[in-house]
Amino acid sequence: MSTATTYALYLVFALGGAGVYFMLPRTGRSRVLSGAVLASLAVFALLAVLAFGVIDPAHGSGYFYLFAVIALLGAGRVITHPKPTYSALYFVLVAVAVAALLVLQGAEFLAVALVIIYAGAILITYAFVIMLAQQSGSPIYDRQSREPFIAVFAGFVLMAAIAGRAGELPLAGETVDAALTAPAALAAQTESPANQQDDSAQEGADESNSLRMGVIIMVNYVVVVQIAGVLLLIAMIGAIALSRKKVPSDGPRAADVPLGEIGRKVKPY
Amino acid sequence: MAGVTEYVIVGAALFALGLVGFLSRRNLIVMFLSTEIMFQGVLVNVVAVGRLHGGLEGQAFGLFLLVIAAVEAGLALGLIVLLFRRRGTLDADAWSAMRG
Repeated sequence: MSTATTYALYLVFALGGAGVYFMLPRTGRSRVLSGAVLASLAVFALLAVLAFGVIDPAHGSGYFYLFAVIALLGAGRVITHPKPTYSALYFVLVAVAVAALLVLQGAEFLAVALVIIYAGAILITYAFVIMLAQQSGSPIYDRQSREPFIAVFAGFVLMAAIAGRAGELPLAGETVDAALTAPAALAAQTESPANQQDDSAQEGADESNSLRMGVIIMVNYVVVVQIAGVLLLIAMIGAIALSRKKVPSDGPRAADVPLGEIGRKVKPY
Repeated sequence: MAGVTEYVIVGAALFALGLVGFLSRRNLIVMFLSTEIMFQGVLVNVVAVGRLHGGLEGQAFGLFLLVIAAVEAGLALGLIVLLFRRRGTLDADAWSAMRG
């Protein structure tokens, strides 16, 4: 990545920052339209910079541009839409686009897991909470941002810092492809029998990504899988304990009546 | 197979957009949606950088990242329901007394 490309990226991020700043909800005169034009211009300029300055034409794929546009515009709309329901719907769009970006990188299993977990489970939970906790009308805290300028400045400076340094990663396209297609180099990296088994699985050219993921998770990272399961259990108990509601009872308490009467004369709680 | 730099840049952009949303929005639900966007950006980055090393460790790490995201979402939404019951509003500024 040349110096000119880096500065072009900084320019694009400044443009995008201005667009997001105008799009953030505010009281008073709305400047959403001009902000949207600026932000869309910035996204397409970013893709142009990537196409001419970063991506090796031999490895480029049109799908990358398509799904990057969807992900970035969707993310911009999530953080700027004044209605939380629409934010959640745009987030589904972001999750699906990111899943497509993962497929383009050869991570099919992770992409399917992302769609199932995010679009399937987490977003349903968000929809329930939005229904439970939504206030009527459009409350003031949805129409007004808190310190939009500082937030945009911090976020886009961080973005420029990461993206500006990204070109220094040791990542010419041919190194990546060589590493992915050379099992000998992989076998040299690891010495334990478990890893060798994993590498022998990778040697078969027709082994699917899911099979290789299953092998690496269940051979190398079994303990992590157990810890993840325990963590999910703890989180489930914690969420139940947090959101449990005490129901006031006007009759006799259930604990005070003899067995057999609960449900007949006394409500279960 | 595509390169890595462009994915790192897109991941960084997603992360920063999530950060902007988290800092500037006042609705608790939208704030946590913004953290989910940050998770997506990190996921793209983890898989892209993992490809540099040729193995699947990056993708395995990404899978456990999804577990953490699910745990975080469940607990955060439980907390949001709790906070909404206490104050009757989703405004994060309603809790600014905790600033001390």
